[in-house]
Amino acid sequence: MKRSVIQTLILTDLRRHRLPILACIASGIFALGLIRIGGELPVILGTIWFFTGLIVLGCLLPGTNVINERKKQTLPFLMSLPVSITQFTTAKIVSTVGMFIVPWLTLVIAAVLFILGHPRLPDGMIPVVLAIATLTLVGFCLIAGVALVSEAEGPMAAAMVVANSSYGLGWYLLVRMPGVRAGLASPEIIWGKEILTVLGFEFAVIVLILGLTIYLQSRKRDFV
Amino acid sequence: MTNFAIKLDGVGKKYRYFTLDNIQLELSPGQIMGLIGPNGAGKSTTIRILMGLIHQDHGDVRVLGHRMPAEQVAAKWDIGFASEDMRLYDAMTLDWHMRFIRSIYPQWDQTYAQLLLKRFGLRAEQKIKGFSHGQRVKATLLLVLARRPRLLVLDEPTTGLDPVARHEILRELTAVMNDEGRSILFSSHNTQDVEQISDQITFIDRGRIIDSLDKEAYLNRWRRLRLEAPLGIELPALPGIINIRQSGRLAIATANEFVPGIAAAYENSGARIQMIENMTLEEIFVAKVELSRDEHEEVGA
Repeated sequence: MKRSVIQTLILTDLRRHRLPILACIASGIFALGLIRIGGELPVILGTIWFFTGLIVLGCLLPGTNVINERKKQTLPFLMSLPVSITQFTTAKIVSTVGMFIVPWLTLVIAAVLFILGHPRLPDGMIPVVLAIATLTLVGFCLIAGVALVSEAEGPMAAAMVVANSSYGLGWYLLVRMPGVRAGLASPEIIWGKEILTVLGFEFAVIVLILGLTIYLQSRKRDFV
Repeated sequence: MTNFAIKLDGVGKKYRYFTLDNIQLELSPGQIMGLIGPNGAGKSTTIRILMGLIHQDHGDVRVLGHRMPAEQVAAKWDIGFASEDMRLYDAMTLDWHMRFIRSIYPQWDQTYAQLLLKRFGLRAEQKIKGFSHGQRVKATLLLVLARRPRLLVLDEPTTGLDPVARHEILRELTAVMNDEGRSILFSSHNTQDVEQISDQITFIDRGRIIDSLDKEAYLNRWRRLRLEAPLGIELPALPGIINIRQSGRLAIATANEFVPGIAAAYENSGARIQMIENMTLEEIFVAKVELSRDEHEEVGA
């Protein structure tokens, strides 16, 4: 069956970026391996490494997949193809988010399985890990959305600063929520009201950012 | 109603420091139109509007019967567009690009693509970053031509090319026109390139179309007359003469509607015709731009 142009653009982006995606997955698995060793230092290093890999990929992909299209002047080539501005934006959002989602989901599942299978890590950590991991997804969507709308490095760098600052702040606020804190050391997963509200808010922000990106792009009158 | 390959009617676009003003343009199927203008004249803006990449503030744009920018997806299936600032993916090979375009366009002609590879002296397995500027332009053109578009829109495709590469590209564009249904809009500030392949010439300057005619009409109508006028003789202002420059006894008159009667009128006034010269397209273009700017400034004053 003949693929649509949008599908072709998405698959082309995925193929062009398979190396950084694989590198991020490998880096995350390595980080989990460090945590597996046990001891304070490997666990701290492993946790930092795990999230750093995702954060770096989240900063890298919007630059290479979105900003570079304009910077390296490949945008006129793509826009000469039978696609509209909205279709192009949709393809870019799906490919950019998809390229992040693949390693993100792989590593989140790996981390959950890792915690479940680790005798000394309480399962109660899982909701917090999911909330922090989702925050990296929110940050990534913000960077990607700003990159797509602005098509410039300056605003994208500003979005990176906001996103990267929010990770530490998010962690700080999360573990200070009484409901979340109580469940953190629990041997069982507790889906309290607070953690569900946080996750719901994070996904709502993701939908808002992506929707706003498509809306703003569709209003552009000069594209190339 | 005539089906134009391109029809722009009263198209305008306003920027802070530049305005594209009331553009009227018609290109019939099977024709090659050269769009000539100095840098910053509005060639690229006009082309981007007709490709749907920039939305006009007002006016109607139809390309292959499709309204632009609303129907750009349908139109772009049959348009091959290449511009001077268009780049391919540096890290990918030409073969990768050929497979990419082939996966989109069902009408991709692989045999023709292979033929173009040979004619242009390109290696499909080479990465784009290893290509020279001329090879990059040829690679882009190969990707455009092998999809067999009904309309080619080329924005300054020969800029920065050496004479051999320019010749190869112009020869290929001329060969494309063996298929009578095809049309080409070709923008350039190089009048020699445009003169070689175009049937129709459109001059654009400062955001306005200042003239649009078929090439032969330009070359037939424009003449430069070298005159010798004895002192005390005033050269008459004649219809069809747009400019007279006089220095002592010698004068040069530029005609944009030359008829033999003009020479006779000068001789009757006491002047002697030294020579009547044909003008090159470049000379016509420069004269036309100067005339247009003078007229525009007079109106503005």
